[in-house]
Amino acid sequence: MSGAASNLVSPDAMLLSAIRSGDGQAMAQLYERYSAIVYSVALRVLGDTAAAEDILQEVFMQLWRSPEVFDASRGSLPGWLAVVTRNRAIDSLRKRRPESDINEVVVSIEPDLASRAEYSRALETIRGALGGMSAPQRAALEMAFFDGLTHTEIAAKTGEPLGTIKTRIRAGLVTLRKAFNP
Amino acid sequence: MNVHEQFADDLSLYALGALDGAERLAVEKHLQECSACRRELEQLRGDLALMALSASGPKPPSRSRDRLMAAIAKEPRRAQVRRPKRSAWWNTLEWAAAVVAVVIVVLLMRQNTDLRRRVADLETNSTKQDQQLLEAKQLLATLTSPDAARFTLVAGKTPLQPQGKAIYVRSSGTLVFLASNMPAIPPQKTYELWLIPTSGAPIPAGLFTPDAHGSAAVIKPPLPTGVEAKTFAITVEPETGSSAPTSQPIMVGAGG
Repeated sequence: MSGAASNLVSPDAMLLSAIRSGDGQAMAQLYERYSAIVYSVALRVLGDTAAAEDILQEVFMQLWRSPEVFDASRGSLPGWLAVVTRNRAIDSLRKRRPESDINEVVVSIEPDLASRAEYSRALETIRGALGGMSAPQRAALEMAFFDGLTHTEIAAKTGEPLGTIKTRIRAGLVTLRKAFNP
Repeated sequence: MNVHEQFADDLSLYALGALDGAERLAVEKHLQECSACRRELEQLRGDLALMALSASGPKPPSRSRDRLMAAIAKEPRRAQVRRPKRSAWWNTLEWAAAVVAVVIVVLLMRQNTDLRRRVADLETNSTKQDQQLLEAKQLLATLTSPDAARFTLVAGKTPLQPQGKAIYVRSSGTLVFLASNMPAIPPQKTYELWLIPTSGAPIPAGLFTPDAHGSAAVIKPPLPTGVEAKTFAITVEPETGSSAPTSQPIMVGAGG
């Protein structure tokens, strides 16, 4: 977990501030830091490298054009990037126009992912939590998240009751949260 | 956990973008009213971010970086406020609206200039008329003032005779009449001035009573316009005046 000092002066906030004043180098640094997250999520959803690269470009250009869409006081940048990327990738997968306004996405996330070490530790925790779930629960969560299937579609696909699927999805998300707040 | 259990499952689905139609609207309506559920939604999005991070692994190819940097170089951040793309018809509509606005502005400016010119003209006219009115008033005051000293100039030792001067403008029916050395009028009588037309009966042209010096004036009595005057005459009439002479004229103009 992060120390108080790194929370007070967030490197991400400093980079975003530089981006707001038009600093391309700051954008390059931000890209170095988070492009793997964005690309991985897009690739996992879309299963196609070219399409994932397009989403990567789109998400970072959005940040360049309107850095104010991310409210640093209300969330974590990597978390925000991950959620925005997933939503855009799902929209692309379903061939639909971007549905939610990017401004609406506020991501409250427990782990500080600024440093590589903390990021690795967080990733280990997440994967551990996913590994600890029952196969049907994890499957429901992954289908909902990475495949963009609705609970109805998942229920139809798995042959399980709708209510069960809803509960599994929610319980799966809470399990992830609790992995950081035992 | 969340105090709004009935929305708990739906909030997760909402965060995932899996709700449609009525279900989605119901959650959005509830979110507007419930801060606890808004916080829960942020938490759920945090949970989703953790889920997303579980995919971490492959790095993008280096060409992706080059592509992004090239795009950034083409789009300096100063020009970051981008207008949403608009369809051609909307642009045409906007353009047409701008043209209409310009036309209206030009018309209004022209009208304004015209109005200003008219106001300026009216002001000029008004000033001129004020000046003329002032002069007329001064003239009238001079003619009718009881303080005015009047002198009648005659040749040699000719005794002073009653005298009347009528100045008449036929087209406007305007008459100014001045009299001097008039004998005092008997009680309950008045002098009456008559316009004697070239044809037809005499027309009443005002009543007057001379002052202590025998002076009198009749200024603009009501008269019909366009009547050609052969001459003017004065009779002595009852105090209220007459519509036709009731006595022989005591004075008659030489005319011309």
